[in-house]
Amino acid sequence: MKTIPPPCPEPESGPQYWRSLEQLSDSPQFRQWVEREFPHGAGEMSDPHSRRHFMRIMAASFLLAGAGGMGSGCRRPEEKILPFGKAPENYIHGVPQYFATSRPSRGTAFPLVARSNDGRPTKVEGNAQFPGQAGGTDVYTQASILDLYDPDRSLKVTQAGNTRKREAGIDFLAELARKGQSSLGAGIAFLSDRSSSPSRHRLQSEILAKWPAARWFEHEAVDFEVHREAARAAFGPDPSGATGMRPVVSPVYRLEKASRIVTLDADILGSEEESARLIQGYAHGRRLEKPTDPLSRLYAVESLMTLTGGNADHRLRVVPSLVPAIAARLAQEVLRVTGALGEAVSPLSGVAGPASAHEKWIVECAKDLAAHKGSSLVVAGYRQPLAVHLMAHAINAALGAVGTTLELRPLMAPASGSLPELAALLNRGQVDTLVILNDNPVYSAPADLDWASTQRKAKTVVRLGFYQDETGLAADWHFPATHYLESWSDGRTADGTLVPVQPLIAPLFDGVMELEFLARLAGLPVTSAYEIVRTTFKAQSLAGDPEQAWKKFLHDGYLEGSAPKPVAASFKVSALVSSLASLTPPAPASAEKLEVVFFRDSRVDDGRQNNNGWLQELPDPVTKMVWENVVLLSQKTADDLKLQIVDREDNNLRVPWVRVILAGRNVEGPAWIQPGMADHTVGLALGYGRGKAGRVGQNTGYNAYKIRPAGSLHRAAGAQVQFLENLHPLSTTQNHWAMEGRPIVREANLEQFKERPDFAKGMNMHEPPGLRGKDGQLEPLYQNPLDIPGPDGKSPRDRATHAWGMSIDLNTCVGCSACMIACQGENNIPIVGKNQVSRNREMHWIRLDRYYAGEVADPQMILQPMLCQHCESAPCENVCPVNATVHDEEGLNVMAYNRCVGTRYCSNNCPYKVRRFNYVDYNRRPLHLLAGPFYTTPLLHSTDGEWDLIRWWKNPDRGIRPDDEWELLKLVKNPDVTVRMRGVMEKCTFCVQRIEQAKIAQKVKAGPQGNIEVPDGTIKTACEQACPSGAIVFGNMKDPNSRVSKLKAQQRDYTVLEFLATKPRITYLAKIRNPNPAMPDYAKSPGSFKEWEGMGNKLGHHGAAHGTPGGYAADKKGAH
Amino acid sequence: MSDIFPKWTNRLPGQILVGALLVGSAVIGGVWYYATPKYTRVGYQPIQPVSFSHATHAGQLGIDCRYCHSAVEKSWYSNIPSSSTCMNCHNQVLKDDPRLALVRESASTGKPIPWVQVHKVPDYVYFNHSVHVTRGISCVECHGSIDKMDEVSHAKPLSMAFCLDCHRDPAAKIRPPDKITDLNWKWSEDPVKNAELQKQHGAQFVHDWKVESLQSCSACHR
Repeated sequence: MKTIPPPCPEPESGPQYWRSLEQLSDSPQFRQWVEREFPHGAGEMSDPHSRRHFMRIMAASFLLAGAGGMGSGCRRPEEKILPFGKAPENYIHGVPQYFATSRPSRGTAFPLVARSNDGRPTKVEGNAQFPGQAGGTDVYTQASILDLYDPDRSLKVTQAGNTRKREAGIDFLAELARKGQSSLGAGIAFLSDRSSSPSRHRLQSEILAKWPAARWFEHEAVDFEVHREAARAAFGPDPSGATGMRPVVSPVYRLEKASRIVTLDADILGSEEESARLIQGYAHGRRLEKPTDPLSRLYAVESLMTLTGGNADHRLRVVPSLVPAIAARLAQEVLRVTGALGEAVSPLSGVAGPASAHEKWIVECAKDLAAHKGSSLVVAGYRQPLAVHLMAHAINAALGAVGTTLELRPLMAPASGSLPELAALLNRGQVDTLVILNDNPVYSAPADLDWASTQRKAKTVVRLGFYQDETGLAADWHFPATHYLESWSDGRTADGTLVPVQPLIAPLFDGVMELEFLARLAGLPVTSAYEIVRTTFKAQSLAGDPEQAWKKFLHDGYLEGSAPKPVAASFKVSALVSSLASLTPPAPASAEKLEVVFFRDSRVDDGRQNNNGWLQELPDPVTKMVWENVVLLSQKTADDLKLQIVDREDNNLRVPWVRVILAGRNVEGPAWIQPGMADHTVGLALGYGRGKAGRVGQNTGYNAYKIRPAGSLHRAAGAQVQFLENLHPLSTTQNHWAMEGRPIVREANLEQFKERPDFAKGMNMHEPPGLRGKDGQLEPLYQNPLDIPGPDGKSPRDRATHAWGMSIDLNTCVGCSACMIACQGENNIPIVGKNQVSRNREMHWIRLDRYYAGEVADPQMILQPMLCQHCESAPCENVCPVNATVHDEEGLNVMAYNRCVGTRYCSNNCPYKVRRFNYVDYNRRPLHLLAGPFYTTPLLHSTDGEWDLIRWWKNPDRGIRPDDEWELLKLVKNPDVTVRMRGVMEKCTFCVQRIEQAKIAQKVKAGPQGNIEVPDGTIKTACEQACPSGAIVFGNMKDPNSRVSKLKAQQRDYTVLEFLATKPRITYLAKIRNPNPAMPDYAKSPGSFKEWEGMGNKLGHHGAAHGTPGGYAADKKGAH
Repeated sequence: MSDIFPKWTNRLPGQILVGALLVGSAVIGGVWYYATPKYTRVGYQPIQPVSFSHATHAGQLGIDCRYCHSAVEKSWYSNIPSSSTCMNCHNQVLKDDPRLALVRESASTGKPIPWVQVHKVPDYVYFNHSVHVTRGISCVECHGSIDKMDEVSHAKPLSMAFCLDCHRDPAAKIRPPDKITDLNWKWSEDPVKNAELQKQHGAQFVHDWKVESLQSCSACHR
């Protein structure tokens, strides 16, 4: 029976969900822009080379290539197989090996399992065996594998810019050691990053004991130490007078035990330390099966629009300087209601005054917290001063959080000086030799320290660093540091558990391990990093065979029971009272006196991962901006400053270029209106505008460190923003593939969910007539290939052993984007560059759609991972003229790259806009061409001193990539996934390589038997494995007991664009918000729901006559 | 017009048409036959750096394939043995033979012997040895009678059509798992009876072991 194509329902009035300011304003240009499948020029050459010029060059290229091809194309290449002379033990070529290790990051280390394909690390995952961790990582960790193969990393030892042999460097260190020994360390200063490594701490103590006159300083541009310092001040012991080590207390936030959470400018789901662990805990509290299940509630007080605020049930938007007042008022109120810590109430009132504007919000929030005593938690963020942390801990203490939602783990950290102290020492000329470990102060030190010239006051500057960066260039001797996957070391996780840092590969270049560097520099007898780590490990008094214990430690990736016992301490009011005195009352912010927030970037961290292409191209989860940072302003601020933000010219988004002036220093960058920003606040992301980065990071963004004051590292007042004339083109993925106001993301409040548990299924648009057959079922437009019977009379659906499907829980997804980077690494997805992203050519197979609902000033944010939905009646398959995209019997919509001729019809016909086309040979393009031009001819250029045509003829795979790029970057590729070339369409494959490997493993195991069904949970797609919140679940829908079947049977399950009857294998679980009815900003339904209702929609009933039934079995019935 | 073109030119269009048809058919036929792996690959027999004879080792001596190709049941890749594997026997047998000089050198220095690759599928084909040999497909089906070759040659085309032939009818090839490396094994010496028994047992194996013999793209292309 022929079905009439369903017309798309037109929105009746205004947009439902808006994703950008342009869309909200609904300008005619924007409408025209979104209605085109690819924006103007996306499929065209718009380079200086004209079409005709292009043809001319191409014709000449083909002629030459053809002549060469007669010789090259027809010959059969003779390839050699080089087996081992002597085979290593336990190694089977082609079978990946996995090793436990961990990634050190500032004061912690994150336990990982790394995959090694034939000796090269290709992927890292969270160590799921680590106690209390279900796997999952953050974006920084996922992308760190690319750093290992960065062709711009520091390769050689250099002295004053000249390459030296490694041995010469080692000799120099020995000489330093002799000098230090004779002077007992006088005039020697160390500047290092923070570290959790017990081995490094031990070496530090040994060095300082050996050289008592030497001094040690620590610096982090974005420092989370305030968390540990505050917990120590609030609960822990006083710092002892002894030099060497100081006691700290690590606060471990157990969000999984919290039913009420308040964040005070703390982006716990984004940029805080170990966000992956925090997200896991948060997601635990947001997971629900039935309306009666407990659901946690999140209150966020913040000035930037962050993921935490976007996920919060109540969000209070305030200027950063107001946060202490709000913390004080909240503390007062909680202490009053609970009656605890009475003596702290009156000192707080001196600070709480300015919070009066939000009195009701705070009072009701406090009531809610007090009503959930023992299961609530307040977290202050790293950008807030110590006093705010102490107030948060006062509340935690009053609420009985200590020991339940807040674990206090006593640790020891080395006593070190700060950067300003070192600057003073340098200025007094008391430093003869400065040794810098990892840190990059020339780039990231506060502006008023004028570090580049301050540092030069030392006679000799020695530096160990992963990059030959700003500091490396300014140093006399620079030593290349090893990547953590090349190093022996150790570390402690946030709760203090000892974890190993185990190398998977020998150092690729002349890298020196940090521990070896220190040991040589101090002339210690043992210089092998491995031996140093083993010696430290021996100090753990362990029962049994030490060799076995060591092996188990490396195998498991952690030492069981090595975390210090949590302490149950009482809150020290005196610490709070004395810290309150340091707070200055905030001056009101205005358009002339703006407040500035300096924050850790969600992609490049504090700049350390600036040269990482995956991270550069990752859209910021909130702004969706790529390849640079922007000056964030609220709509009101922009109006007050008379900034006209959005302008679209030649398909390029253009924004004003502004100058931010703070205390006489200024920095220039592109202005961007961020909905939900606090008014009169400027948000400046750190980590961009590097003076010396690599081929990827050079010339990206502006450097916010240039105006960062030493006195107040994260927020400052009294800034001005000046509009400069020129307009700056930005690349954002924000407006791409806007879905024109259909109920794509469905959400409701908990109360609504209780009333109507099936709301998600009933939340449909007006359905155009003629979509349903006689039986009342939606008729697919295209025949379902799984129902076409084969020669044996059985349909593929019946024949298949598995039916792969996925469920994505929008209630636990927080939008961290780890899935995007994991997918990029697993599936060999190239980066395309800023210029190409502006033409909508980004290649991410999974994207995170971010919608807003409500007022521009203070909207609600909704996030949704969007990837190939693996439709059963797939629109893409039916329009492919060459059968390059077809179904397999287990329900995968597969791409046969070799068949694809690049018509792009499939992408045109995809309702979800998830197909990606290789417009250019991204995998073979040199990194410096990321900025364009994107067509170059091999006739006119040469690379590495060789004519490109000859190069190409010698090795067509390498193309015109320089050797260093090619040799390194090919190592990061997953050998189980085809690397696509120009002219090929690609998209999410459900990680078909993992599916096939698991199926094969099961069949090999079965041998001559029939148990070939893969057990549930064996296959994890890359996104699922990286997801810290467990929002993504993949599995076999044919097994009614699989996790995915059970999730799809839930009432919150719904299908995106259901009326198209494409029968996607991916369904979503609707989002449930949990607002507090007593709060002043309470609304009966979420903003998006209201807007949906506002269009005249009503919740329908699903059942036989309406909607898609949930499970696979029911689906099958419906299709027959 | 007759002044310009002589009369015989009237027949020219027909002749051209027939000629074009003939040449066209010849080109199509030629490509059809010569440009396929059946012609280009079968029979390829490079000279290896060491004159290792499968006929001697596997045929005459009866060493199991898996003694050397030990990863075949575990990996997608059937390994070429390391030189030290050769030395397991050859440190006793023919230990000073000049033909083994390269092997001895490789085993002592660790420098690999550069064997020339014979069997190869394109990079976009993810063929897996382990799943075939553990589920009743013998080495002989793809590699031919290796046990009779002194110098290995390419026996089967290994084209996509070749793969699909078997995947469409696995019952014709599947055999008991303990006979995988017995390259000369047959159900019966009588060809008619052998075919009959193969069909009968093959169908039984396919049913009992739930042999999927996938024909969808994702089975081999990722």
